Amino acid sequence: MLKHLTALVALIATPLAAQDFSEGSEARSWNLYAEVPAKFEAKVVDLVCEFTGDCPADCGAGKRQLGLLRTADDVLVLAMKNSQPAFTGAAVELQPFCNQVITVDGLLIDDPELGARNVYLVQTIVPPGATETIKANQWTKSWAAEHPEAAGKGPWFRRDPEIKEIIETEGYLGLGLEVDEAFIAENF
Amino acid sequence: MRHLTYSLLAGLALAGPGLAAEGTRIQVSGEIIDTWCYYSGVMGSPDAVVGSAHHTCALWCSAGGIPVGLLAEDGTVYMVLKVGDDAQAAGGDTLLRLAAHSVEADGMLYERDGLRYILVSDVVSDLDITNQNHEDYGNVPSFSIPDPNK
Repeated sequence: MLKHLTALVALIATPLAAQDFSEGSEARSWNLYAEVPAKFEAKVVDLVCEFTGDCPADCGAGKRQLGLLRTADDVLVLAMKNSQPAFTGAAVELQPFCNQVITVDGLLIDDPELGARNVYLVQTIVPPGATETIKANQWTKSWAAEHPEAAGKGPWFRRDPEIKEIIETEGYLGLGLEVDEAFIAENF
Repeated sequence: MRHLTYSLLAGLALAGPGLAAEGTRIQVSGEIIDTWCYYSGVMGSPDAVVGSAHHTCALWCSAGGIPVGLLAEDGTVYMVLKVGDDAQAAGGDTLLRLAAHSVEADGMLYERDGLRYILVSDVVSDLDITNQNHEDYGNVPSFSIPDPNK
């Protein structure tokens, strides 16, 4: 009985212990202070669904935040970033695998001082049953398809209609155009 | 001993997946932030990647689908998953228009694996941008305002 009890306690305690998922990871460093390479298997979950039971079949079509429910320890990892250095999130990359189990490789950010735990930058995905890796870099293509009217040169974030509209009315600093004008005159 | 074993089994069952999460209703005041820059340090210190200094970058990250957070006055970060009926927290318009604003929110809190998630039912007050830190930090990142001389 004691042996069974010990095993049971160990099973309960496992998710609480810090686990190392860096083995086998081929994640590229971003030279971030708190980055930790991590490759793991996980189920793609819609976070609103996970907490409330409001579960659209498509996990929100890339517009809801998604999580990765890790197979090894049942920890819910927040998918925060895709692999593009372009201010782009991970939901669009993971949504095609809604409620499926995939293998991801990327960088965990672990900074207890700031409260950063179980947040993740996804670099690559191995779909269910596949052996080949795909890059988590589809966001800008998806944005371009949604915004044909914003086609042109330069990065997407200079051309996005909603961003442009806010900056045109509130300024780059968000405090009005007069504050912007004074700041630019002084600093450029 | 048998009683203890059953208690542990019951605890395991409660901790397992598939059960409805228990939320707590909270009211919290703070700033709507870009969580990637705040957590990763990619653009500078935590104090520099908030407020007016980081407003434009916060717009970029919000529109880009990076999770938006509510940074409370005590330093706690709440990941915002929904505002009112709008669950489009990955690039949606509601959160985009609150970038860098100081707000008071009423909603349901869910805690899981070290992170706090909030589903905001009501933005009780929106004070616009109150953290005017651009005089201390400039514009962060420096390319967030295009150089008018180029």
